[in-house]
Amino acid sequence: MTPRFLAARAASLLGLLLVLSLVLFVLQEISHTDAVAATLGANASPEAIAAERARLGLDDPAIDRYLDYLGGLVTGDLGTSFRTKHAVTEDIGTYFPATLELVLFSFASALALAVVFALTSVLRRRGAGVFRGLLFLASTAPTFLLGIFSLVVFYLQLGWLPGSGRLSGAHEADGPTGLLVVDGLLTGDPALSVDALEHLLLPGIALAVGPALAIGRVFRSSLLGTLDAEYVRTARSKGLTERRIVLRHVVRNSLNAALSMSGLQIGFMFAGVLVVESVFSWPGLGSYLGASIPVSDFPAVAGVTLVLGAIYIVANTAADVLQGMADPRVAR
Amino acid sequence: MLHTMDDTTTADPPVTPVASLRGLRVSMARNGVRSTVIKGVDLDIRRGEILGLVGESGSGKSVLSLALLGLLPRASAPVVSGTLTVSGVDMAAGPEEERRLARGRDLGVVFQDPMTSLNPTMRIGDQVAEAAGSGAEAVRLMRAVGVPQPERRMRAYPHELSGGLRQRVMIAMAIAGGPKLVVADEPTTALDVTVQAQVLRVLRGLTDDLGCSVLMITHDLGVAGQITDRVAVMYAGRIAEVGPTAQVLERPRHPYTLGLLASRLGLTTERGAPLRTLADDAAPDAAPAEGDTGCAYRTRCPLAMPRCADELPPLGEAATAAPTAFPHRSACLLADEARQRLLGDAPAAEAAPEPVTEDVKGERAERAQPIVSTTELRCDFTVRDRRGRKATLAALRGVTLDVAAGESIALVGESGSGKSTLLRVIAGLETSFTGAVERPGRRLTQMVFQDAGASLTPWLTVRELLTERLTGLRLDRRARRGRAAEALRSVGLPEEALDARPAELSGGQRQRVALARATIVPPAVLLCDEPTSALDVSLAASVLNLINTLRRDLGMTVIFVTHDLSVARIVGDRIAVMYLGRLVETGAADEVIADPKHPYTRALISAVPGLGVTLPDIVGEPPSPIDPPGGCAYHPRCAVAREECATTLTGIQLVPIGPRPPRGSGEQRRGVACVHRGELR
Repeated sequence: MTPRFLAARAASLLGLLLVLSLVLFVLQEISHTDAVAATLGANASPEAIAAERARLGLDDPAIDRYLDYLGGLVTGDLGTSFRTKHAVTEDIGTYFPATLELVLFSFASALALAVVFALTSVLRRRGAGVFRGLLFLASTAPTFLLGIFSLVVFYLQLGWLPGSGRLSGAHEADGPTGLLVVDGLLTGDPALSVDALEHLLLPGIALAVGPALAIGRVFRSSLLGTLDAEYVRTARSKGLTERRIVLRHVVRNSLNAALSMSGLQIGFMFAGVLVVESVFSWPGLGSYLGASIPVSDFPAVAGVTLVLGAIYIVANTAADVLQGMADPRVAR
Repeated sequence: MLHTMDDTTTADPPVTPVASLRGLRVSMARNGVRSTVIKGVDLDIRRGEILGLVGESGSGKSVLSLALLGLLPRASAPVVSGTLTVSGVDMAAGPEEERRLARGRDLGVVFQDPMTSLNPTMRIGDQVAEAAGSGAEAVRLMRAVGVPQPERRMRAYPHELSGGLRQRVMIAMAIAGGPKLVVADEPTTALDVTVQAQVLRVLRGLTDDLGCSVLMITHDLGVAGQITDRVAVMYAGRIAEVGPTAQVLERPRHPYTLGLLASRLGLTTERGAPLRTLADDAAPDAAPAEGDTGCAYRTRCPLAMPRCADELPPLGEAATAAPTAFPHRSACLLADEARQRLLGDAPAAEAAPEPVTEDVKGERAERAQPIVSTTELRCDFTVRDRRGRKATLAALRGVTLDVAAGESIALVGESGSGKSTLLRVIAGLETSFTGAVERPGRRLTQMVFQDAGASLTPWLTVRELLTERLTGLRLDRRARRGRAAEALRSVGLPEEALDARPAELSGGQRQRVALARATIVPPAVLLCDEPTSALDVSLAASVLNLINTLRRDLGMTVIFVTHDLSVARIVGDRIAVMYLGRLVETGAADEVIADPKHPYTRALISAVPGLGVTLPDIVGEPPSPIDPPGGCAYHPRCAVAREECATTLTGIQLVPIGPRPPRGSGEQRRGVACVHRGELR
């Protein structure tokens, strides 16, 4: 991987973030949310409104306001929520770890399911067909339906797993990272980790099924294509075992498309998580956003959008870089 | 096949062969249709010999090699019967684990295209070490096959190496662990001519230095003649003839071998007369159906008799032959009569067009005026080099060339020579060049490509492909149909082919359609980019005949790009040799071949393989046109280079040499771009 390849990826990352901020700014401009009325109330005097507008710089030229906005973003100032009266950054700091933990867990599950699905199918292992069928069936249902279904079965009927929130009442969430599974391990409280994992299972898997199938399918068809490649024939002619051939020669050459798809899917997951959070009463960004939208809390909505958009862009850049690591021809 | 087995057991030397095939049959399914690809083959590969397996595409030679390795593609559900043993291991029906170990221990393989046969994401060193067992052994092997600075190459990826180096790496992997047999499937077909000679030397060295046997699969009788000890000629899944190489190629006994040899182009093939071809080239479907009990070659055989349809000829020796360890066997009922009859009679060829060159010479006076002319043509492309940096690829570096009306010129060169770019500039397909080019209008130039399959729109019928070019001529439907049928006839295809789509035609038929399409409205200039290099010998010969005939009938100028000097000699009145974007030698085809004036032309000629031609010792590979050597680009590889060649500008311009042709003859003087001005020893 050449430094110039990394530099190009980094430049495109910054460019995309800039575009994202511009889009949000324009949306804010045309959305007719009235920050002044929101802060001062509907009965404020015209003088007070004018003073407030001047204080907020709302009468400045658009370009100045955009630069102000951008400066705010860089210093972590996303404005103040109309609803909670807290800084949006602070709110996001409160809710984001829950969402992050859910998505990370779910994404890891999706990758594991995808790899199992693709490899068992390509190596013609027993049960591959059944596994594929189950995954396919589960992914045909919309995420919220799958969530509700799993709630009914595993929580209400069987009572195996908890059905809402991140923790049972017995635990306190105040670890250093906000990711409860990790915090449990860091603070020497394995029971906390186990409890958090149990809470993660249902929403995590419900969210993982769709992406797992998407990534798994792409990975499987790349694997099948690569198995036909002439260099795989060469590897066979060396007398290598099938296992070694698949692991050393086939998998790495098949990662490309699967990595792109993973980058896309992790982005989609941050969008899908909002629905899952409301089904499982998960105290994350989804709940925050759900409360902010009905009251036109624009700074909050824009802040969450910005964070999710940025994650989407970073994830895809990471996928690009990983592709470059897997295939030296990409990273030129 | 019992009698054949008896033959073998009595005549073979007592030494156990490395590989032994008895009554081998392989059937495979393609698109749900099962067909027998190998129809009973008996063959031994002896210790330390190079056995050539020669045949046209579809003869089953590659399937045979994959069967030997136990690597028949699983997807085509292969069914193998008969016996196939490689150093004691049953590669046909043995347990997969045993066959796998045999592949690692006793077998090595070199495939055709080293680019696709090496793992693109794995370092060369890791790939060789995987076969060799350790990095140190990998370095040793790479040095043994002539990879320069092997320690440094260990960390390279395949795309960072040249074609010749990649193939050497493949060979290094093949000989890892000291195999008893190396299977080489067309190992030089994808390489440049001068590199081919080098790789053949390496392969020849394997048997001499390591004592391993080589099964050399090739479509080129010349390559087989050059390095093999014995040759087996395959036709339609059976062995038609097998014996010591010199005997098979000099005194062939099977009509098919005779036909193949006659249609093969060499540097001494008669010019001006139509090339000999095998019958029924364009219609391989005429081959006998599955379950046929007769000789498969009878449908194309000029000596076929009614008996041939009923009786499968055994692979037998001549009655007069003395018992020998290396029998020369032929599967023909006529035995040795075949050779006498065929060489006694006038050989069966296509309806013979009259000699071409004579006619054309008469017109020379009228065509002194160039129809295509380039002046100081330069063409640069911005590309990424092997390390991924932006770089300038100098495809053409000052080409000045006149092509007279009615003339036929062959542009010869290896990869990176710029020959195809020059053709594209002349065709008007490439517009980013400097310098001047004069050519007739676009409608008056037509181009024929190497891969006719890819250059014909797959969903159009032949009729649509042909009549497409007639729009604007204000012809009615009937007239258009007539013209299309006529164009097909002129390329030797029946009118029924009008309704076929490209996929339903064979490779040779598609190339004919491409020619018909190019000539349905006779162009002033026909541009050909290696139109025969993907075809079997006989098909190539018939396409060359066709181009020569069309040229004569339509009075076209032909510019023909090829890497093959023997092809250039047949199609070109004149040959222009290119190296790294410059012309290095031009002259009448006969003169250039008989008395080459540039050291590079000499190397090219010496690299043309043939029976009894010693493998030349050629240095280096064609360098990349990204950052070509300064001065005369050939100087790093040149045996007669002087010090000034690295910097001089005098050696890079064509200078006229030899006698000035008579005024008005239309002939051009020979030219050579070399400081020696053609005064070589």
